Amino acid sequence: MSAEDDHSVSPLPPAALDDPHLQPYARRPEAAQTVAAVAMVIGFLGFIGFGVSYWVVASTQWQAATFGIGLFGFGFGVTAWGKYLMPQGPFVEERHQFHSTEAERDAMTAAVVERGGMVVKRRKVLGGLFALGSTAMGIVLLFPLLRSLGPKPGRTLFQTNWKKGSKAVTINGRQVYEEDLEVGGVMTVFPEGFEGSSPDQVILIRLADTTQPLSAPGRTSWGVAGYVAYSKLCTHLGCPVGLYQEQTQQLVCPCHQSVFNVLAGAVPEFGPAPRPLPQLPITVDAQGRLRANGTFDQAVGPGFWERP
Amino acid sequence: MIDESLRWVDDRLGIAKGGRTFLDKIFPDHWSFMLGEIALYSFVVLLGTGVFLSLYYVPSAHEIIYHGSYLPLRGQRVSEAYASTVGLSFDVRSGLLMRQAHHWAADIFVGAIAVHMARVFFTGAFRKPREFNWIVGVTMLILAIVNGFLGYSLPDDLVSGTGIRIAYSIIESVPLVGSYLAFFLFGGNYPGSGVIIPRFFIIHVLIVPLILLGLLGAHLGLLVKQKHTQFPGKSKSERNVVGSPMFPTFMAKTTGFLFMTTGVIFLLGGFVQINPIWQFGQYESYKISYAVQPDWYMGWLDGALRIMPSWEWVGWGHTIPLEVFLPAVIFPGIVFNIFYTWPFIESRHTKDLAYHNLLDRPRDRPKRTAAGAAMLGLLGTVFFASSTDVMANFFDLPLMGVLWFFRIAVIVVPIVSYFLAYQICNELRQAEGLGKRKRALAVTLTESGEYRTEESEPRPGDGAGVELEPVPVPAFIDVVPPELATGEGVRRVMR
Amino acid sequence: MPKDHQAGEAGTVRRWLRPRTVAPFALVGAVGIIGLIAFSPGSAHASSTATPAPVQATANTATSSQASAYVSSNANPPHLGGQAPSKQLGLYYITLPRSYIAPGAALFAANCSTCHGPQALGGTKAPNLQGLGAGTVDFWVSTGRMPLANSSIQATRKPPRFNRLQTLEVSAWVQSLTPGEGVQIPVVNTSLGNLEQGNTLFTLNCAACHTITGAGDALMDGAYAPTLHLATPTQIVEAIRSGPGNMPRFGPGNITNTNARDIAAYVTKVLQHPTNAGGIGLGGIGPVGEGFVALLIGVGALMLVCFWIGDRA
Repeated sequence: MSAEDDHSVSPLPPAALDDPHLQPYARRPEAAQTVAAVAMVIGFLGFIGFGVSYWVVASTQWQAATFGIGLFGFGFGVTAWGKYLMPQGPFVEERHQFHSTEAERDAMTAAVVERGGMVVKRRKVLGGLFALGSTAMGIVLLFPLLRSLGPKPGRTLFQTNWKKGSKAVTINGRQVYEEDLEVGGVMTVFPEGFEGSSPDQVILIRLADTTQPLSAPGRTSWGVAGYVAYSKLCTHLGCPVGLYQEQTQQLVCPCHQSVFNVLAGAVPEFGPAPRPLPQLPITVDAQGRLRANGTFDQAVGPGFWERP
Repeated sequence: MIDESLRWVDDRLGIAKGGRTFLDKIFPDHWSFMLGEIALYSFVVLLGTGVFLSLYYVPSAHEIIYHGSYLPLRGQRVSEAYASTVGLSFDVRSGLLMRQAHHWAADIFVGAIAVHMARVFFTGAFRKPREFNWIVGVTMLILAIVNGFLGYSLPDDLVSGTGIRIAYSIIESVPLVGSYLAFFLFGGNYPGSGVIIPRFFIIHVLIVPLILLGLLGAHLGLLVKQKHTQFPGKSKSERNVVGSPMFPTFMAKTTGFLFMTTGVIFLLGGFVQINPIWQFGQYESYKISYAVQPDWYMGWLDGALRIMPSWEWVGWGHTIPLEVFLPAVIFPGIVFNIFYTWPFIESRHTKDLAYHNLLDRPRDRPKRTAAGAAMLGLLGTVFFASSTDVMANFFDLPLMGVLWFFRIAVIVVPIVSYFLAYQICNELRQAEGLGKRKRALAVTLTESGEYRTEESEPRPGDGAGVELEPVPVPAFIDVVPPELATGEGVRRVMR
Repeated sequence: MPKDHQAGEAGTVRRWLRPRTVAPFALVGAVGIIGLIAFSPGSAHASSTATPAPVQATANTATSSQASAYVSSNANPPHLGGQAPSKQLGLYYITLPRSYIAPGAALFAANCSTCHGPQALGGTKAPNLQGLGAGTVDFWVSTGRMPLANSSIQATRKPPRFNRLQTLEVSAWVQSLTPGEGVQIPVVNTSLGNLEQGNTLFTLNCAACHTITGAGDALMDGAYAPTLHLATPTQIVEAIRSGPGNMPRFGPGNITNTNARDIAAYVTKVLQHPTNAGGIGLGGIGPVGEGFVALLIGVGALMLVCFWIGDRA
């Protein structure tokens, strides 16, 4: 270890006046000074301008122009001062080995091992109790940290507020009648009383002006009067599948472009969504109002562990 | 005066010795060492503008009627969070400038971290003894991304709300505990019990910034303790650092750079609109806009989600949504684990246990450079994949075609990048004289029709600073005698 | 290549590879891309030369003599109040004069009948137009989508081939084939529109395809939701009611006449003239454009500063 290695500052001789290390970097320092000065004046004026533009409630653009140009000009001047007008160097600094000597390391290890051994090994019971107690504390601390945050999922992920007979209403609570949608029309509906509820959102599509059963085989009774209803929650990540391509009869999720075939029970045709959109069986009552004819036969929305 | 104050302080704290060493600390002059400072200074801007915003923002999902000055929203039911963000954009003086500067600073912050990290990686600055600082840096990158996402979510507008919805489903996709975690964090089934905005707020403004500040201190503290790396060159060795001293040269340059960084951020903040939430409207779980993307630093996750095939695993009464879990949890997990462990992977591979203070030129470590290029290729591809719809629309291409292109590119591009980078490195190494600082060559046509090549005139700095032998920073400089100060031949020292 | 020139090649390659040399080009390129995004009228699908025809003004003139002829079938359903379109409502439909039918027939025969057939019953290449109504025809012709320029997946908006009168004449002829059926030509008074209502309805019904800023985006199979930045109030209501192409159809039972007026007002007054209080709007495409600016302009500019500060060693 040399004397340099212990961070002591060796007294340095005053530098000679003509030492090239102390000359400014600029070949023409006077010109550089002018540049720096002009830039800093611009900065000063910019700052003043920002103050004024704030005071007179000028537009965001005026404030940004004055403050931004002020900052940039000021910074440019200061940097130019440092770059062109300060001693050009190069200067050098020795690196010091910052790791300890072997002897110091040994001493540290010995301190840990021997002192620790002395107090812990002799009092194994206390050491064990300390480990036990602190572990228990760590674990019970997690209870309030995690468990207080929210409820357990339970069966909620499998349930919606759609029941057999639920009236379909718009977001404003308006009852939806059979004649409301034209062929090729689409509407977001909720069970009455749960307008705006995320898991309950359903996209209602009128495919045809007909009484003929529609939609996928085995599910033809799920639609009515040319209507079909699907959960609007994408089975990929739960975005609302609000994009209905009427000519190709596809529902598209705007988030990650999963494509569902409306005519075939909303099976995914493309993109990352793994499952069809759950279909809601619907019917029309005597007053011509659309109602649920049952509920979803599976959990709506994206996949999760408990889903069978 | 200064002398007396210093004495007073030093009597009590003993700062003079360390302070002098600090003032003499040498910073190597190379542009690539300034990249981290972009991140540092955008963080400073983030803190400043963030404090301003927090004075007006209301972290509450409570519904109120908007009565502010943006007409198309007046009378609408919105959350207090949304109303206050629109309010601070339109009804608080300089509020919009501060909000946009904050958002631009966040985008630039993460960008600068990425560029800085690439520099550190490709020059091998993470090697012994700097593995700790690499790990601290990667952690800061993750925290910056997380906090960016949280902050982006706070206004409760339609676009960011969609992002929160996606985040919920990603948490839900974790096997075994996913739905529990999501319920705990959100306080129930989506959209939860209205707690997510206040929770995000406190994490965004207190918890993460606090950790970031601590890590930043560690990052810079380690830098001072371990000293800068430097590129090899004349008089530069593993045992020294050559460059400019902390005071005054570097301090002037870096202070100026702080101002310039802030200036660029504020210029963007007032001239380029970012996240105009008043156009997006309040988030409702049943509303959606097309062309919704997250901020750029989340784009790579969004892109991975887009190009992932629909592979859901179902069995034994359980479901694992691999189409979400793999790209959004496992993929970033692997990427960040590679980042964290790279110094150790590399040293195990090269069996190199020596200290390294001199940097590598990327071409001299072709395998590392190629690996980095492959990672950049991978991340770049999934990043661009997050804008498939915008690209398809802008360039009039079929959307499925664009998606399939990225599904193939995500495999091809990293492989091609690896071999291309490897090849370029090797060829660069074989080329004579490349990379040595030389004067520009001027090719002139003589009267006789011959071409002549001459070295151009030396530019400032060409022969002056570089050629000199470096010296320790002098304690003080003599006062310039007046006759010399004006004389020919000796340039006056500006102090 | 002269030998001496080659001698300088190593230097040339080196200079090209230096970040300081490449960066200005990258920055210029970035500015170019941003400029392209920022100042393009919306998307590749919107012809930049397209000038929206003065639909509303002309339509008003055309109807000044017919102002009382409303089409009652366009009223809201009874459970929604049954409100008929009216001038007071800010949305009403015009009946085109009989005198338009004859010149319309001639225009149709010359420009449309090749594909749609002499009686507009359609053919292998084109759909049946009977029963669609004057409003549907007006939408396709006034937006320049018909007559079709080339057969692509989706007709593109372009400057209209027919002037306003000719458009109305063709519409009148098609309407005369099935009187009273289909979508009529609306006149929309957007100054009566409720922008807040329009905003709510737009985000619920339209933004999923046209995007929240009305910029439009790509759909499946090469189709796209066009930008709304060029649409007139009349065209907007026509599109809502007739559902052109892949667009769903919204009748008065779904989007009432008041709703349709509010949406038209919101699109034309707010989306077409957005409050870009924060500066350049970047085409309303959201974080994609912002990311480009942040990385290429923001980080790019600051890296240029780095090159300057650090250019010493």
